[in-house]
Amino acid sequence: MGMPVGMISAIYSFALTTGANRVVRGARIEHVCGDPGLGPEKDYAYGMRIVRAALHALTVPVTGPTLFDPHAGEAEEDAHAS
Amino acid sequence: MSEPVRVVHYLNQFFAGIGGEERADVGVSARPEPVGPGRALQAALGDAGRIVGTVVCGDNHAADQEAAAVDAIGRELAALRPAVLVAGPAFASGRYGLACAAACRAASALGIPAVAGMHPDNPAVEAHRQHVLIVPTAESATGMPAAVASLARFALRLGRGEALGPAEVEGYVSQGRRRVWDRGRPGYQRALDMLLDKLHGRPVVSEVPFRAPDRVPPAAPVPDLSRATIAMVTTGGLVKKGNPDRQVAANATRYHRHSVRDLEALTPAGWEAYHAGYFNHIVNKNPNYILPLSFLRDLEGKGAIGAVHEWMYAMPGVSTPVAMARELGRSIGADLREARVDGVLLVAT
Repeated sequence: MGMPVGMISAIYSFALTTGANRVVRGARIEHVCGDPGLGPEKDYAYGMRIVRAALHALTVPVTGPTLFDPHAGEAEEDAHAS
Repeated sequence: MSEPVRVVHYLNQFFAGIGGEERADVGVSARPEPVGPGRALQAALGDAGRIVGTVVCGDNHAADQEAAAVDAIGRELAALRPAVLVAGPAFASGRYGLACAAACRAASALGIPAVAGMHPDNPAVEAHRQHVLIVPTAESATGMPAAVASLARFALRLGRGEALGPAEVEGYVSQGRRRVWDRGRPGYQRALDMLLDKLHGRPVVSEVPFRAPDRVPPAAPVPDLSRATIAMVTTGGLVKKGNPDRQVAANATRYHRHSVRDLEALTPAGWEAYHAGYFNHIVNKNPNYILPLSFLRDLEGKGAIGAVHEWMYAMPGVSTPVAMARELGRSIGADLREARVDGVLLVAT
């Protein structure tokens, strides 16, 4: 009985090909959960969007490596969730 | 003409004609001639090799009394004095594969070279390929002729004391050893040839062995985030400011766990990144980029998640071999399971 893991990574394609099951697209390697170039407010909102996407990923049943993109709508996610 | 190579052949009770599962407890015995598949092996060896004895052991006996079986096989080998031992082929049979590997180890202990035949997916391959020379065979005994031909070829070369080339050239199962070897032509020429082969649709064989990553069955989802305890793990090299735990920046052999019970966010005064695989400067200004505590506290306050787990786990993920990463991951997972954590956010740089 395991627990779900939302893996947030900027190089999400590696995470998917190496078998992580719930992969969330992060911003960049140097600042995975946010972007300082956006200024403090937008930076935080952007990071929050990524973290929320990761939490959402924990609630979705998956059958194998699946990408959750914080920038995409639910429809896009469903397309990957098989 | 030189003397024929002295070969001893190892078989289980089934291929030796003693019986099936009901005779799998039979102990080690030897016969002075080829038996069962040994006759085909003798034919494949031709005049170049001679089977001087067949050692037989039941698969269950070899598994249950392994040390005693290896001793007994060793005694038979010492008496028969072969130049090489051939074991199997065991095809996809797991117990027989393990018994063949045990027989090969008994030979190696006496300085006798040995070769076993089995299907690449036989569990004994993964367990013993580093120390036992294994040639790949088909899954079942329908592949006997090819397996015997291949075993005979290796047996003669080993029996004559010839050194083998790399696995990819010789065709045995890779033993995971790196040796200096001259491919004869520089890398750029080989790379261009490979590219041309690809462009022309010709078969291409990579020089870099590929091992498919493990697949882990996905865990069931969290039913209700607002009642869930969420833990954080990072491979971004997060350390306490000044790295008092003296964590390494790459090729880690341990992780550290730190309490976040009294923290609302990670501050640059308290935390920094020590990681050889990316530019750490940005994270050092805001460590929450690699461990999203500030966000989770916010969501916890709003009731979107139940709680943030007290302990977070950190290590640098760069250059860590897969085997080590697996061990560290298992340990972290066991810790989190014991703490009844419901879900995990893992930030990987």
